[in-house]
Amino acid sequence: MLLFLQALLSGTLTGGVYALAGIGMSLVFGVMNISNFAHGDLMMLGMYFAYFAFTLLHIDPYVSLVLIMPTAFLFGFLMEKVFISRVIHHPHQNQILLTVGLGLIMSNTALLVFTSDPKILTTTYSSSAFNLPGGIYLSVPLVISFLITCGITAILSLFLLKTRTGMALRATSQNREAAQLMGINVAKMSGIAFGIGTALAATAGALIAPTYYIHPLAGHSFLLKAFTICVLGGLGSVAGAGVGGLIIGVVEAMSSTYISSDWKDVVVFVLFLAVLLLRPQGLFGKKGEQ
Amino acid sequence: MKQIVLIVILAAVAAAVPLFVGESPYFMGIMISVLMMAALSSAWNLLGGYAGQYSFGHAAYFGAGAYTTMILISLFNLNPILCIVAGMVVACIIALITGSIVFRLRGHYFALASIAVAEIVRLSVLNFEFTGGAQGILLSDVSLWGLDLNSKNPFYYGMLLVLVITLAITAQLRKSKTGFYLQAIREDQDAAASLGINLAFYKNKALLISAVLTSVLGSLYGVYIRFIDTSAVLDLKLSIEIILTAIIGGVGTLWGPVVGALLLVPLAEMLRSNYLGDVLVNAGLVSETSAFGLFLKENLAHAHVLVYGIITVLCILYLPKGILGLFRRVK
Repeated sequence: MLLFLQALLSGTLTGGVYALAGIGMSLVFGVMNISNFAHGDLMMLGMYFAYFAFTLLHIDPYVSLVLIMPTAFLFGFLMEKVFISRVIHHPHQNQILLTVGLGLIMSNTALLVFTSDPKILTTTYSSSAFNLPGGIYLSVPLVISFLITCGITAILSLFLLKTRTGMALRATSQNREAAQLMGINVAKMSGIAFGIGTALAATAGALIAPTYYIHPLAGHSFLLKAFTICVLGGLGSVAGAGVGGLIIGVVEAMSSTYISSDWKDVVVFVLFLAVLLLRPQGLFGKKGEQ
Repeated sequence: MKQIVLIVILAAVAAAVPLFVGESPYFMGIMISVLMMAALSSAWNLLGGYAGQYSFGHAAYFGAGAYTTMILISLFNLNPILCIVAGMVVACIIALITGSIVFRLRGHYFALASIAVAEIVRLSVLNFEFTGGAQGILLSDVSLWGLDLNSKNPFYYGMLLVLVITLAITAQLRKSKTGFYLQAIREDQDAAASLGINLAFYKNKALLISAVLTSVLGSLYGVYIRFIDTSAVLDLKLSIEIILTAIIGGVGTLWGPVVGALLLVPLAEMLRSNYLGDVLVNAGLVSETSAFGLFLKENLAHAHVLVYGIITVLCILYLPKGILGLFRRVK
């Protein structure tokens, strides 16, 4: 029972950070109808950003988010304007390949510049933990990351629900043509969506940097997790991605505890295929687009 | 018919190449890689190019062939031909599972699911004991009908044979009913379905043919190198290389994958052997002892995937139909 609760709680905490990456990807998918295969590599860049902000400038990884988010937003916005916007009406295979290519450029440039030695970001609280009554302990960096994730998600929800830009984003996501006819600048919305998606990916990367190995090819496994989260929640559904992230985090922690940590990714991908087989629209998606 | 004649002529020319090169193992090695990548990419093209189903997990079928063959040879010392057949069966099973799950869906889903299947295969092979796990499988000795398997020639002709078969199947398919059905599915799935084409059946058919051919190449590769591990035969990187080769040559064309392989494989080899770095140094552009020169020497060999990335981006933006597509447009 103790083991179960422990896995449930730490899974939820990790899942929160996964959710952030998943939400970013889902937003891009919803607004632009593009599967962003560079998403994992954007997370990897966020990890390195946090690492160098900490080692060179001595900025705490959580404080460095203030720098990372606007930089990543700008990076994503420009990436959309220079590359992605040019294939928005192409067949989706071309869109996928373009983002694959951009991802390869990012990860392999990182490999050249940062070399393949994994880096570890060690803060004073990296290995400390909160001890809860009953013998459960929660890693301090994971708790902080989870709280920050909740804050960012809340702000993002308010932005999407209450502001004019947020409403325009949701309108574009529902029906691009109709939104354009209503006078919404859909090209600008694509840029904003991709910028937010990139910012969320980089933030997720920075948030897990204190608890993971930082490596140029780390994005690869996060990419597949982000996809699983999106499909689980229903491609394009932001709320679904949030819940999907928590589910994946818990599933991962449970399979590490009860099967073995070697097989946890396999369990996640089997879950992914099972969702495709049984409920392809995802837990919260609408039927019809599959 | 014209295409079949062309395939036979070019195959005859390719078959004569070892006679002239004689004993240059280095050149033969590169040629084998070119033939293998051309065949892999052609096999992928059957599914991706004609049916429009972009598989991002073809490494799974390559690895299925390679691992089945290597395990059977190292454990039971079976005849390699039997092992290749066993590899085909394993690839078929994986393909049928993948196909039955994802071909009811459309668009992004097939690409995503094909990666998931390939990752499940890769991680399973990595975690199981009998597959050698992270250490891979090393084969000390193998024999077949008294052929000299230490020389490169049997593998050159083996790869060439598979390439010719793949091209012949492609050429035939383009004019067959199945081929037209596949192209109809690629162009408009709903229209194809409304005309009575069984989408799942024909997509599965294309996937099966493609997977079986890919697994044979994997088996040949395993026996040729005599060492396999997951990073060599099951990695996502391999799946992406296969697609890039087809994209650069021209997706959905008969000769595109061959053209792509002739360009990309030697390019990768040049980068890997640091030929490009040597050229820059010899041309006096970069001093060998300067920090930048040392950096190039140290790292340029790892840069071939970066170059692939750049080529992909440029290709999608400026040449989405590939090199052969360019000629077709001019005509």
